[in-house]
Amino acid sequence: MTDMPMETSPVKASLTASDARTKKRNAAETRFKAYGIAAILVGITFLVVLAVAIIRSGIPAFTHTVVDVEFTVNQEQFDDAEGQLFKTKAYSQLFIARLQEQLDEKGLEVAFDEKAIERLMGKVGADIREFYRETPDALGSPQRFELSASSRVDGYFNGRVTRDTLVDSRFLQVSDLDLVDALYEAGIIKSAFNWNFITGADSGVDNPGGAGIGASVIGSFFMMLVVLFLSLPIGVAASIYLEEFAPKNRFTDLIEVNISNLAAEQSIVYGILGLAVFIQFMHLPQSAPLVGGLVLTLMTLPTIIISTRASLRAVPPSIRDAALGGGAAKMQAVLHHVLPLAMPGILTGTIIGLAQALGETAPLLLIGMVGFVARGYPDGIVAGFTDPNSAMPAQIYTWASRADAAFYDKAWGGIIILLVFLLSMNILAIILRRKFERRW
Amino acid sequence: MYDTPTTERGVISNDVKFTAKGVQVYYGDTHAIKDVDVEIADKTVTAFIGPSGCGKSTFLRCLNRMNDTIDICRVEGDIHLDGEDIYDKRVDPVQLRAKVGMVFQKPNPFPKSIYDNVAYGPRIHGLARNKAELDEIVEKSLRRGAIWDEVKDRLDAPGTGLSGGQQQRLCIARAVATEPEVLLMDEPCSALDPIATSQIEELMDELRANYSLVIVTHSMQQAARVSQKTAFFHLGNLVEFDDTSQIFTNPKDERTESYITGRIG
Repeated sequence: MTDMPMETSPVKASLTASDARTKKRNAAETRFKAYGIAAILVGITFLVVLAVAIIRSGIPAFTHTVVDVEFTVNQEQFDDAEGQLFKTKAYSQLFIARLQEQLDEKGLEVAFDEKAIERLMGKVGADIREFYRETPDALGSPQRFELSASSRVDGYFNGRVTRDTLVDSRFLQVSDLDLVDALYEAGIIKSAFNWNFITGADSGVDNPGGAGIGASVIGSFFMMLVVLFLSLPIGVAASIYLEEFAPKNRFTDLIEVNISNLAAEQSIVYGILGLAVFIQFMHLPQSAPLVGGLVLTLMTLPTIIISTRASLRAVPPSIRDAALGGGAAKMQAVLHHVLPLAMPGILTGTIIGLAQALGETAPLLLIGMVGFVARGYPDGIVAGFTDPNSAMPAQIYTWASRADAAFYDKAWGGIIILLVFLLSMNILAIILRRKFERRW
Repeated sequence: MYDTPTTERGVISNDVKFTAKGVQVYYGDTHAIKDVDVEIADKTVTAFIGPSGCGKSTFLRCLNRMNDTIDICRVEGDIHLDGEDIYDKRVDPVQLRAKVGMVFQKPNPFPKSIYDNVAYGPRIHGLARNKAELDEIVEKSLRRGAIWDEVKDRLDAPGTGLSGGQQQRLCIARAVATEPEVLLMDEPCSALDPIATSQIEELMDELRANYSLVIVTHSMQQAARVSQKTAFFHLGNLVEFDDTSQIFTNPKDERTESYITGRIG
């Protein structure tokens, strides 16, 4: 080979100088990577925009403006007020007098009347009267009252209501805003965390300030209990049978195709099925989390079956061979070896199915779990399943469709709560997967 | 094991463990094993050799009915273990597999502790009445698997953390823990290095004293080293079955000769 003449071989290209083909190939690869990075950046941008929008719009739902006034009602005033014909009016006058006094102390001059206070804070007198009737011991000593202002005052502070756009109505007048400004300057009106939004129930259409998501959280919770305790055992049992025991024939192929199709089925179809079967035919209670849970179970089952079968299939056949070859029966091989190894996948699939069910709205609307049903907490565990209630996404939908713009804030706030639940469930799925993951 | 009828034990004095007559195996439409007759002796190592796809593994898996787990697989003909038809409808394949243990090509310990790997079989078959007896069985099995000295201090460690050769010996220990009468080994050394292979081969020679061993191997040298009987399979036929020395020095069939001299395969 060494004596072969050099000129017959083609000119050897240097490794450091790249030829045209290499340049083209490298350029294509660089472009390809750039497309990928661009796609990811677009995705991240959308995510950031979404997160910022949700948080910005949702934060107002968690705060509300309160009127913070400290004053004393003594026994004489109490007796006097209780002796009058319009008892709450008497308390209102006491409150207004104290308010005026505090404004005078600060040297802020603003004229207001009882009607203005009513527009800003509703029936103040009733709240004060109720407090003293329930705790007569408080008479004579100074008490601090934090009374919530109307949702329009909230709107004035977060920019939804402005002097220019405000049209005088029985709800709020432009002149009232002078009083609000004065009270704000005096430190009497301030922002506070709105616990009622987290713990309360839905309010009427004319009281966005009193609306809370607590009752629908409970509704969602009972629904998820039904979904978990029905879909997990049924789904896992069905998957184990189909994957490990069932003969492979046309009938099981048909079942397999159907399960895949059902997983892609629109949720509203399950809703109308639930309405027809569970409510109209079986006469289960309308708007009940039990029925909602049953409908969502039907919807979640295919997801759980598919993910469980995938995790069973991912267990290496050598493990089954090892168990069977050692004289284990099929059931023992599955229960002792295959199922424990498939568990992380099964749990992850189940939690993701549950999270999906938690965010489902359409089927719930069809079976009557609309937002305004959630007017209070259920009385007990059984009532939790059977009493009419709503669920978080349905509640959000109801708020978003109400006329009063203040409900719009509530809808965004509700979405934050829903996302917190979804994120916690997904984090739980990741933790469980990490914890139970085993290598072979 | 303990519920084996005494009449059956009587037959064990017979030198022959397995008798196969006219065995045919079909995978769907494929005729994988064609009319195989073979007799496998007790306390002997029998090697199945042949080129890939010749059916040697398939035939091995017929001996403990592992083929039952494959839906499309169909077995015809007679296979008798100690005079009993193992494909009889009344035979429970699970009981059969407790009697005919198996070691697979790829070491496949359970992702559990070394102790639990070995104790699993005895536990599900109720071979130990208490913890002390189970400990004894585990130790005895690990000693038979020639791995006791290496793992006695870390029985709680996962079996999957051992090296390949150790894993395979653990699998052998697991297979002997249920006190089988026959041990089937499907290319037990193909995933191992030469040192681990020689350890396993030594082990086979020791195990021969108590069991009937059937191994499938791709290595003719291995068959020559460890077996007393060799069966050569080709295209689903049992071409030749004789003493190992006979097969390797003086094969009767032309195909056997071609294979062992490296002309086909």
